[in-house]
Amino acid sequence: MIASANRLRSVGWLVLLGLCLAMVMVLAFRVNALRSQIHHAEARIVALKQEKMYLETEFETRANQQQLKTWNDVEFGYAAPLAGQYLEGERQLAAFSVPSVPNAPAPIRVASVDDAVIASAAFPAMVSPLSGKPLAELAEHDDAATKGGAALAKASSTTVADHAEAVETLNERLGKAVESRPRKPVRTATASDKEELEVRKPTAKPSGKVDAKSAAKAAGKWATKASTAAPAKQASKASKPLEKAKKDKASTGSSRVAKGKEAKSVL
Amino acid sequence: MNALTASAAIASGRVTLANVRQRSLVEAKVRVLVVAFLFVCAALAAFARIVQLGFFEGAPERRSLAEALLPPRGEIVDRNGAPLARAFPAYALWYNPKAFGENGSPLVKSPEEVAAALMQIFPDADYADLLRRLKSNRPSYLRARIMPEEANRIFALGEPALEFPRENQRYYPQGSLGAHVLGYVDGEGKGHVGMEQVLEKDLLDPAKRAVPVSLSIDMRAQGALEDELGRGMLETEAKGAAGIILDVDTGEVIALASLPSFNPNRSDMAYNDLVFNKVTNQVYELGSTFKPLSVAAAIDAGVVTDLSVRYPADRPLEIGGFRIRDSHSFGASLNVPESLIHSSNIVTAQVADKLGGPALKKTMAALGMNERPYIELPARGFPLWPRGHEKTGEWARITTMTVSYGHGIAVTPLHLAAAYAAMVNGGVWRPATLYKVDPAKAPEGRRVFKASTSARMRQLLRMIVVNGTGKSANAPGFRVGGKTGSAEKPGGKGGYNRTSLVATFAAAFPMDKPRYVVIAMLDEPKGTAATSYQRTAAWNAGPIVGRLVPRIGPFLGVVPDDTRDIDISDLSPLVGNGNGE
Repeated sequence: MIASANRLRSVGWLVLLGLCLAMVMVLAFRVNALRSQIHHAEARIVALKQEKMYLETEFETRANQQQLKTWNDVEFGYAAPLAGQYLEGERQLAAFSVPSVPNAPAPIRVASVDDAVIASAAFPAMVSPLSGKPLAELAEHDDAATKGGAALAKASSTTVADHAEAVETLNERLGKAVESRPRKPVRTATASDKEELEVRKPTAKPSGKVDAKSAAKAAGKWATKASTAAPAKQASKASKPLEKAKKDKASTGSSRVAKGKEAKSVL
Repeated sequence: MNALTASAAIASGRVTLANVRQRSLVEAKVRVLVVAFLFVCAALAAFARIVQLGFFEGAPERRSLAEALLPPRGEIVDRNGAPLARAFPAYALWYNPKAFGENGSPLVKSPEEVAAALMQIFPDADYADLLRRLKSNRPSYLRARIMPEEANRIFALGEPALEFPRENQRYYPQGSLGAHVLGYVDGEGKGHVGMEQVLEKDLLDPAKRAVPVSLSIDMRAQGALEDELGRGMLETEAKGAAGIILDVDTGEVIALASLPSFNPNRSDMAYNDLVFNKVTNQVYELGSTFKPLSVAAAIDAGVVTDLSVRYPADRPLEIGGFRIRDSHSFGASLNVPESLIHSSNIVTAQVADKLGGPALKKTMAALGMNERPYIELPARGFPLWPRGHEKTGEWARITTMTVSYGHGIAVTPLHLAAAYAAMVNGGVWRPATLYKVDPAKAPEGRRVFKASTSARMRQLLRMIVVNGTGKSANAPGFRVGGKTGSAEKPGGKGGYNRTSLVATFAAAFPMDKPRYVVIAMLDEPKGTAATSYQRTAAWNAGPIVGRLVPRIGPFLGVVPDDTRDIDISDLSPLVGNGNGE
């Protein structure tokens, strides 16, 4: 009995030893595999770096100073910049606004829409590299997060509306004749829009430089487009309480993306 | 006897048994020890291996990667990091007649056909030479360097005997640009002429060659300088041209060109006269460009305190049978600014005479005119320095006078550039260098002129360009100041050859705060239609500077500005209508 138990124990030890050996072997294989992978990766890095060096050298050779000079003589004809092409600072820039001769009449100013507002709405100044959204908008989102949901809904709706109108106005001003879609009247609203407008009215408050009137119009415009895209959904949405619309952040976001695409195709 | 035997037998039997037992015990212990020793050894070995794996194994791998990327010869880059010279494994064309084994024809087609096919790929090759090599049964290079597309076309010929091994060679992506600065590497991998020779040790040192060597050269400025000098040389049918752009505050050489140049990529063809560096190795009598230096020495010494003092200039100056004359008469008398504007030898000689030989000699020596130029390049010419009196070493009166307008002393264009840099930068002479210098760690240098003298000279140099002989160099907005110099070359009957000139323009810009000195020199320019049939510097070297400065200024940090300039209003009333020669 004792002998068999001893034997069993020694067999157990042997099995354990075998298991350990097998595991060590597996580990060794894995280590070796990884090492060879590293070796391959390094070889590839070396090859790629050398390839890069070849290409760089070829580029440098094809674009050497003498070659560039020849191209410039034959093809481009660029000349060194002259003194008139440099501005030393704000002072020199401001000197341009001084009347050219004493008692010169003031330059004629043409009444027009505030270009700065349109431009800033049509072309967001800076886009966040993380989310792809304009930075100003993100800042608004942050503000909204601190102030509450209502402000968020207001801000985002007016921004979107501004953008659409600004793009249209820009196109008019730039005299774009060809458009990917028929132009819609900017200042008229359909019956369903009016309904939407009424729902939206309290939200369309002036924000920043945009005055109340244009914001309201813009909201209407936004509603026009949204209703043509999904009238049924809009109608149902309009009938729902305002809080629901405020909460519906995602849908606003998605419609903004769609607008962005539209604007791109027009521009 | 018997009893003794028996007892011995019994005793031995017991002893044997006892021995056996003891021996077995010892044996067992030894075995256990041996096994334990083996186990300890194995454990130690395993531990050692673990230690090795853990601490040392990674290193050789990494070193091999670094080694694989380590160039066989270090790279040389310009001040902005653009490669000027690098090791590049290029294809060579190698003929191996043993490609098919020892017996039989080495080529599939006839040698004539193969040579003709190669001629189509390399139209500049020598057919007879190719044929001779292909017919001979010796392996040889058919071409030292071929392009990848050419290698493809040769491969398409289907001749296994034509091999193209990748060989590490020195490659200059910019071709002949800056050839004299860089030099070349010969077939044995040895650097010659320029920085390749100077940096030979560092470029080959495994510890240093991974990091590229930064030169002070700006590739774009170098390209512009060579281009404009080349144009000037063609327009005037000059024998050669030399030019240098020098940073006045640090002594860095931004560009250095000696034309005609050579192609360092064809090191087999580089053994010729063209490797001679005209900027650092050839000495010239640089003529009137020395006048501002002499005037500066006189102002600095307090000899010229009033610039309105007039000196007679209507007839040649006769000193010991030697006549100092001007190109033409500029009127009865001239003051110092006028003498510089019109480039009058007579007045400058009188100023130098007033200053005296020792003072002028001291200034010239302080400007480094009596020793080889300071630069890293191996080829540096020794100036022809006037010998002076046998005992005292003093210059004779006539020597002082001729040196003042750049005759009787021959220096390299680099000497002149360094002297002009000292004259305009506030008066501090610094050695020129081809290494990139941190502006904060510029060499201290030595003071040659007072700061006030330097300020005055800046005004005078600007006046020469605004009103005088240097008008052609007046690049709008860049406030260029400088001096022309057209010296006759030695030779001919009267000691000088009246028909062969060295035309130089030494300039600095912007004059209100000088940053760079530019020297442009043409060797034996001719009067052509492009220069209105004139041979003097105002017509050939001046326009080179005038075209060059607007090209290099903007990227060297000098912005053209019409609204600012150095104030010369206190000197303008001293100058008449200022029409130069």
